[in-house]
Amino acid sequence: MKRMHDSLIVQTMSQLLIPLAQLFALYVLFFGQYGPGGGFVAGVIWTTSMILTFLVFGLKSPQGRFVEKMLHGDGLGLIVFVGVGGLCLIGGGEFLNYAHLDIPGVDAPARRYIGILLAQIGVAIDVAVTGISIVLSLAYHDTEQEYDV
Amino acid sequence: MTRHLPAILFLLPLVLAICLPLIGLKHREWCRPLAITTLVGMVLVSVANLAGILQTGTIHYAFGGWAAPVGIEWVADGLAGVLTVALSLVGLVCVIFLSSVLFPYLGSRIVPFYTLVLLLIASLTGMVFAGDLFNLFVFLEVSALCAYALVGLAGGKALFAGFRYLILGTFGASLYLLGVGYLYAETGTLNMADLALRVPPLVGSKAIAVGVLFMFIGLGIKMALVPLHGWLPDAYAYAPDRVSPMLASLVTKVALYGWIRIMFWVLGAHAVVYQIPVLFLVGFLGAVAALIGAFLALSQENIKRMFAYGGLSHIGLVLVGISLGNQTGFAGGVFYLLNDAVMQAGLFFWAGAIIHLYGVRNIEDLTRLHGAPGWMSVALVVIALSMIGIPPTGGFFGKWYIILGAVEAQNYLAIAAVLIATLLTLAYFLKLFERVFRERSADQPPLIREVPLAVRVSLGATSVAVIVLGLMSDHIVSFLLKNAVPPGL
Repeated sequence: MKRMHDSLIVQTMSQLLIPLAQLFALYVLFFGQYGPGGGFVAGVIWTTSMILTFLVFGLKSPQGRFVEKMLHGDGLGLIVFVGVGGLCLIGGGEFLNYAHLDIPGVDAPARRYIGILLAQIGVAIDVAVTGISIVLSLAYHDTEQEYDV
Repeated sequence: MTRHLPAILFLLPLVLAICLPLIGLKHREWCRPLAITTLVGMVLVSVANLAGILQTGTIHYAFGGWAAPVGIEWVADGLAGVLTVALSLVGLVCVIFLSSVLFPYLGSRIVPFYTLVLLLIASLTGMVFAGDLFNLFVFLEVSALCAYALVGLAGGKALFAGFRYLILGTFGASLYLLGVGYLYAETGTLNMADLALRVPPLVGSKAIAVGVLFMFIGLGIKMALVPLHGWLPDAYAYAPDRVSPMLASLVTKVALYGWIRIMFWVLGAHAVVYQIPVLFLVGFLGAVAALIGAFLALSQENIKRMFAYGGLSHIGLVLVGISLGNQTGFAGGVFYLLNDAVMQAGLFFWAGAIIHLYGVRNIEDLTRLHGAPGWMSVALVVIALSMIGIPPTGGFFGKWYIILGAVEAQNYLAIAAVLIATLLTLAYFLKLFERVFRERSADQPPLIREVPLAVRVSLGATSVAVIVLGLMSDHIVSFLLKNAVPPGL
């Protein structure tokens, strides 16, 4: 779908559904600490909202452009993840040992909480971006091209 | 600090790989120097890591502070230390080569290209250190995904070859995972050290046998063991010339290393030597691979395909070495593995250089090389001598120790296989030399081209390295015997 979907019902319903899906993704992300869920699932749910966005509004619309811009965040999720792990390493513990996340005034359980949450956010961003890039490359990119390498 | 070195070694290329897309938005030209700097850093860290291992013994790194068998563990022992030093050095030379000005300018695709290359190196490092079977699978898949993408980079025929590689590689990975599932169902653990304790009492179990068989076939596809090698020749021949050396020298070798790990560290040296006939199977398949690979190389016209088949034959020789069931054979096999990584890199450097400098892809066109500088032919001859196994190159000593191990094991078929493979290797290199050194016909003016510095450095480094490996072979093998042989062999 390179152009906007012409049904008003579909457009209005997705305007309603997309933020709901994103809110649910955030809920799953934060609730992942206490129950089923976490970064991976949250990322997938976020992706579905993004896929719906460019299916309904097309890639040329402002919403669709936002989806395309998100692709640049490919490394960002991993940077968050590795950054948290690296801070633990700098704090003197093993990679991803959140107890060594040096945040002044925070005790070890709270450090673990923050550490896991940050790492999960990194995972969520990366899963979301990967999902979108798979769909975009399957749907729009030309594969017949030959390159000179 | 020493105990963190394995993780740091892995994080170096990984961090750069994930930062490159952001750096590349503004400064595309930084990719090359940053990649080379990272690889130089990896060489230093891997040497420090090896020194640390020698000083303090095996390093067990528990990610997140969760000790094995609950947590994810990396094990850096003597073998892993040696392998990572080799990996970083060969990786550095390959990155220098692939960033040469010889190849077409990649434009905006330079950023994803370097990202893939660095991810490939990071995941191979992860495979070498992985202390449990599942993480071995994860890194196997990450490295394979990068390799598929790198093969298919050129589009067209390469895309087809890459897709075939993807289908077969995924099939192999699935088989490996299935095998891991069998072992997990039977023992309840994935950690290699833990498995090594729990597998010996269950060694007669059919589930373990089936699981190990699946893992072997899966890794066999990844290391391109001969009946399962269908993806390799096309993938390497059509892959961009700048990445073939890296794929040929590193990817299959590390899959082979994974199999060595499982065979001797999970099943245990005692079990494979005395209880289950897996060594016989591995040795037999290795001998078949060594012979068939060399035979097929002899019948190739395309130079890159010929070298790819030569690589298949050498994978077989390494398997023959480690299947002998004694320390000499094992050390010989591992030493040959290191040599093979260097030799394959060197051969594909040469092939890539002549393709882009003189447009030579097939053996019959080799007469066009008359204007080529003499040192390029010398480099080819040195690496070829090592491939054939003529002293004082590393290849000779690798085969020498494998044969010594075979004599020790009284396995005369293995000796015959190594010698026949040597003769066949000699035959296909003679076919190559016959063209390279043929008298020039008068109507053909010599093509004189400036060879870029990166090609000089990489080709020179590999050809010097095979001689150095040969001269140092005594030290390296005794070092391997002391620090890297599996317990109980």
